[in-house]
Amino acid sequence: MAGKASATPATYSPSPTGHRKKRPPTLTDSDWIRPDGRTVHQCRPAFLRTGAVNSASGSAYAEFGNTKVIVSVFGPRESKKAMMYSDTGRLNCNVSYTNFATPNRSQAPEPKDLSSMLHKALEGAIILKSFPKTTVDVFALVLESGGSDLPVITTCASLALADAGIMLYDMVASVSVSCYGKNLLIDPVSEEESYQDGSLLITCMPSRNEVTQMTVTGDWSTPKIHEAMQLCLDACSKLGKIMRTSLKESASCPHD
Amino acid sequence: MIFSKVKGVLADEVLDLPTQCPSSRTPPPPSPVTVQPPASSPLDFEVRLGIAGKVVKRYSFLIGDPLMVGLSFGEKNFIKGGIAHDLRTDGRKRLTYRPIFVETGVIPQASGSARVKMGATDVIASVKAELGKPNPSHPDKGKVSIYVDCSPTAEPTFEGRGGEELSTELSSALQRCLLGGKSGAGAGIDLSSLSIVEGKVCWDLYIDGLVVSSDGNVLDALGAAIKAALSNTAIPKVQVAANASSDEQPEVDVSDEEFLQFDTSGVGRHYIVDATTEEESQMSSAISVSINRQGRICGLTKRGGAGLDPSVILDMISVGKHVSEQLINKLDSEIAAAEACDEDNEMDS
Repeated sequence: MAGKASATPATYSPSPTGHRKKRPPTLTDSDWIRPDGRTVHQCRPAFLRTGAVNSASGSAYAEFGNTKVIVSVFGPRESKKAMMYSDTGRLNCNVSYTNFATPNRSQAPEPKDLSSMLHKALEGAIILKSFPKTTVDVFALVLESGGSDLPVITTCASLALADAGIMLYDMVASVSVSCYGKNLLIDPVSEEESYQDGSLLITCMPSRNEVTQMTVTGDWSTPKIHEAMQLCLDACSKLGKIMRTSLKESASCPHD
Repeated sequence: MIFSKVKGVLADEVLDLPTQCPSSRTPPPPSPVTVQPPASSPLDFEVRLGIAGKVVKRYSFLIGDPLMVGLSFGEKNFIKGGIAHDLRTDGRKRLTYRPIFVETGVIPQASGSARVKMGATDVIASVKAELGKPNPSHPDKGKVSIYVDCSPTAEPTFEGRGGEELSTELSSALQRCLLGGKSGAGAGIDLSSLSIVEGKVCWDLYIDGLVVSSDGNVLDALGAAIKAALSNTAIPKVQVAANASSDEQPEVDVSDEEFLQFDTSGVGRHYIVDATTEEESQMSSAISVSINRQGRICGLTKRGGAGLDPSVILDMISVGKHVSEQLINKLDSEIAAAEACDEDNEMDS
């Protein structure tokens, strides 16, 4: 699928200006070679495509390095009978892993936790008032887990929602950063994730400059958080542009 | 939602009903409804559905879901106006916590336990230690697992699978701040102190939280309870001899690193801490920050809702840092007092 990658700009690395100066000249920081040959502030190439599933109202496929995710959106459709009346729409998110997504069959992270994180990341962006009494279902399936799964799922889900024609304030883009001692690594792969000292994930709406979801683990100082947030927001706005281009492309030359 | 609707409709009916039922009317409904007058604050009223005066059920509202709290337009404005004027419905300022009550050693079967009450929010945390096998990827570290249970005694809606969503949300937020990064850096609990024989035996700590009653800010209460329970925890010192006869020596305390769960909620343009259920229903979004004694951030979770400007988040973090200093000291003295009280009781018995 990646072979078909079209004119879409494939990378969303934050601009290096400023960061290079700020970083302390300690360690072999600037020429740190990552497992896949990237530099510390370089993102994996992103491949996004809408319309991956025919039966869904909207769907998207995302491939960021080895992380491969497919998301389908169904609805808005009538809420289940047991649900109480609601004058705003409901969002139902479900994340699952295939058995072959991880190297060890039982290694997949808690899908319930990911589902609730995805829900929180998306609910701030959807205009729920536009579909009262109904539910939108977002089903994400991780085909291959290669690190930074949640940011890829969130980005892909937002694209699928846009493809389904659900009213959004803005598309959400999500990027995570790993912290190793003094270094910040953007868009970590699983190998890097398993040895990280801390991580920071931001989901934001680039055009509105609003953060819909943010989580931090590990030990951080305020200036460090500030630096990591800037890095993520910069990457998010670039990722947002890639998402926009891929939507425009599918609108101008619809799939057969 | 049904509950809140019931409240609205029935309350109106009560107001419309003449004091004496005219005989021409159909017989009065089998469930007379009494609306409790506001006791402490104008918001703190409850609906009681009773049969012949006997209280059948008290309906309270699910936290975290704004739709479930049935507030009238006036009440909403009252809350928002109060927050804007730095005087909240229960008389607190924006950045004042409710009084915290800590009780330690409440569960004799556990290695350590504590109960924390903040207003009407009531939680219990217990720590159990069991011998286990370390993870092959981290042979020099013990294991810690955190689970939170939302009891249906707190909310009828927690019954069955109703509390599951909130449970996972709370558990993962606590895990995020207590267990630190994957490499173990920045963890609230020093996992290497739980190792007994590298690669062979280690302690497995099971931290269980129970929400007994919820009136907002459950996460902070749980954080405080876990901190108190950990400082109350004593696990036996194990010595491994060559002939493999393990010997239980005097007790050694698990080191509890300081951490603090801390909550800042944004209502409109102002931040408040320690929101009650009513206030939680009105907030547009909330951020939970955990800050350790060194003033460093060791965990942050945004709790859904609307988007926030990045500068607002940084602002909230600094507000959080400021308030956390006082709270850490307050909590420390409460825990010390509770421990002293606990020891006295043991001496007496």
